[in-house]
Amino acid sequence: MLENFSFRTIVEYLPLFGQGLVATVWLSLVSFVGALAVGIVLCAMNLQRGRLLQAPAKIYIDAIRATPLLVQLYFLYFGLPRLGIILPEFVVGILALALNSGAYLAEIIRAGILSISRGQVEAGVASGMTYVQRMRLVILPQAFRVTIPPLLGQAIVLVKDSALLSLISVAELTRAGQLLASDRFMPAEGFITTAACYLVLYYGLKGLAGLSEWWLGLRPMGSRA
Amino acid sequence: MIEFRGVNKWFGPLHVLKDITLSVEPREVVVVCGPSGSGKSTLIRCINGLEATQDGDLVVDDKRVGDPATNMTLLRTEIGFVFQQFNLYPHKTALENVTLAPTHVRKTPRAEAEKAGRELLAKVGLADKFNAYPSELSGGQQQRVAIARCLGMRPKIMLFDEPTSALDPEMISEVLDVMIAVAEEGMTMMVVTHEMGFARRVAQRVVFMDQGAIVESGTPEEFFSAPRTDRSRAFLSKILRH
Repeated sequence: MLENFSFRTIVEYLPLFGQGLVATVWLSLVSFVGALAVGIVLCAMNLQRGRLLQAPAKIYIDAIRATPLLVQLYFLYFGLPRLGIILPEFVVGILALALNSGAYLAEIIRAGILSISRGQVEAGVASGMTYVQRMRLVILPQAFRVTIPPLLGQAIVLVKDSALLSLISVAELTRAGQLLASDRFMPAEGFITTAACYLVLYYGLKGLAGLSEWWLGLRPMGSRA
Repeated sequence: MIEFRGVNKWFGPLHVLKDITLSVEPREVVVVCGPSGSGKSTLIRCINGLEATQDGDLVVDDKRVGDPATNMTLLRTEIGFVFQQFNLYPHKTALENVTLAPTHVRKTPRAEAEKAGRELLAKVGLADKFNAYPSELSGGQQQRVAIARCLGMRPKIMLFDEPTSALDPEMISEVLDVMIAVAEEGMTMMVVTHEMGFARRVAQRVVFMDQGAIVESGTPEEFFSAPRTDRSRAFLSKILRH
């Protein structure tokens, strides 16, 4: 079976995969930072008591979570130019990933904030802290700790989702696999190499998660009702 | 210092505070007791606006609570509140718990706040626990840190909401000792508690509540030796039986 499998061609294409790997990493990184910004804004809107800000945030989050990322990507890629907004492919890709992942991050951040007990809020209130002081000094530092593992989980999802950008011809990892597959008619070689690269990224992020948990473990925090 | 005039409060259809009229003088220590659900915690939570009242006047330190013209954030800096569940900040050390509000709310310089914080922790008997996190402390130690945290703001009033109810029996007295010391320094205090020894020792007045109303109010001697109402007699017979 393996006699037809050409390791040589893989080696030949390695520089292309290297470039793809680098592209996937930075596309994901920029998208994730954007997603964090989107998520924080959405979460802040969602936590308000007034409907005026809460309703749009809720509708946005539902709309994103209810529709396929591919549809969102196509909407931006084919739809925006029709509205007169012409952006490079990679910008459209980053936009789609950030807007999509932001909705999920908003819910993760919200869950983290809501997991902090009412008593912590009251302790801050009773000592005369303002809303902003309470958030900054009491709630967010605690919420951040419980949020790190699901945040990294979402980062892993985002890296894998970035494969869809190959469909709008952004030169990233999956695109590198596609090129090898179509240039040399070697889909097995192309996509196994692509998959291996994603695995490397996965272990990188997993290591980061482990590192953060180790770091948090150094600073004890007993939760209390 | 604290004055309730005809205060009422409802939780939905539930009438939790019924026409409360009560006045606490500066340096006075008032113990509030009564059966579970009688509204005693709600009563003191209204004083710093953790709960809102719906009717009547509540004046604290010459400011009307709930009045839009009153800066509640500012008023709260004058009122220490000790919770049943301590509510220490778990991500901060004992010393940081004490210095957090003084440095950020009172804008006390850090060095000064830390010096005061160390003195306060030493005063509540925790001189060796400055750098301990709450999870590393016993319940009694945590509650003493919580009291030091309130004292760090140099409040005019201290409110205690069942401060020893969540503690193991052997830790109750270490917390009560600290509270007695605070009372003897002349702090104005309202304490929701069933610790009758504490009431006898430092309270000028005991207020007995039942079903949202103040049923009886008097000196500890009067209240414990000659309760005037059937309800207070029934209550005392239950808590003093053992």
